[in-house]
Amino acid sequence: MAALVRLAEGFSAIFKTGGETFMGIAGGILPALIVLMTAINALVSIIGIERVENLGRRAGGDSPLLWPVRYFFYPFIAGFILTNPITHMMGKFLPERYKAAWVENSFRAMHYGLGLFPHINPGEIFTWAGIASGVESLGYSTSELAVRYLLCGAVLMTISGIVTERMYFWLWARGHNGQPPTN
Amino acid sequence: MLQLIDKIGRGTGKVVGILYQAGRDTIDQVITNILPFMAFVSFIIGLILSTGVGTVIANTLVPLSSNLIGLLVLSFIVTLPFLSPLLGPGAVIGQIIGTLVGVEIGRGNVPVSMAMPAMFAVNGQCGCDFVPVGLAMSEAEEETIEYGVPAVLYSRTITGPIAVILAWVFSLGMSWQ
Repeated sequence: MAALVRLAEGFSAIFKTGGETFMGIAGGILPALIVLMTAINALVSIIGIERVENLGRRAGGDSPLLWPVRYFFYPFIAGFILTNPITHMMGKFLPERYKAAWVENSFRAMHYGLGLFPHINPGEIFTWAGIASGVESLGYSTSELAVRYLLCGAVLMTISGIVTERMYFWLWARGHNGQPPTN
Repeated sequence: MLQLIDKIGRGTGKVVGILYQAGRDTIDQVITNILPFMAFVSFIIGLILSTGVGTVIANTLVPLSSNLIGLLVLSFIVTLPFLSPLLGPGAVIGQIIGTLVGVEIGRGNVPVSMAMPAMFAVNGQCGCDFVPVGLAMSEAEEETIEYGVPAVLYSRTITGPIAVILAWVFSLGMSWQ
């Protein structure tokens, strides 16, 4: 009997703790998130996607100066305006040889801005909020963490764009008797 | 005069329409994407905190995530080209491990200085399940997809550990240190 009672207590403790956690994250994150997302959604529908397309057409050049533009700025802006998953379509404005490196970074762009702009990919917000809420529970502000997360993401996206681009060129050349991709 | 009133009326109507639609989109996203995941995460956390599972997970996760070497190992494992597509879908694994590491940071078992590196380490596989779809969405040709998918998966194994080191550098001088 006593064992049964303890089992029942343990069973309901799971949901009590879960419920408290739910109120904590829903009450802590949702209210400001909803208002922020509404404002940004409105802003985005005013800006429109033509500007993003223009940026994409310009980002496809061969100059190394375009690396940060093509692999950070373009996917980030596209992510901000178009959000997940429509962003991934915007690679169509780039030459074929840069598309692999583009998707690499359109994926990354879905996460690294979440600390500041959660509307980019609200369904995967816990890639940021999971660890951030732990930091917050210690009493630290997460704003600095959010800014550094995005800045670090910017550098990382540029690097990983270059690495993936080179990797693609290498794999392509291996499959084509050393010829580089042409289009 | 009437024309001016007409113009103002139309303008106001348009702005209100945009804002209202934005609010509707937001609530849709909250209900279809955010709340279900919060419910799911809360259940997992409740299960972990109130049963013995937490200790087991903490014993495996804490040594990996409380120092840079462990995080490098973790980021290397999750970005292996044959594992990353399996760990990728919906970023579910990344989000759960991230939340668990967050809980351990809150309890003080993982130092807060590892927050940034851990964020990149648990998410090294992001999107790896989606590479062919992403390429197809970008209207890539078949041959581009054929070489593009391995290019992304192989380069991840290189950039995964780089991300952790970069995140460690970027978290130097954070105000809590």
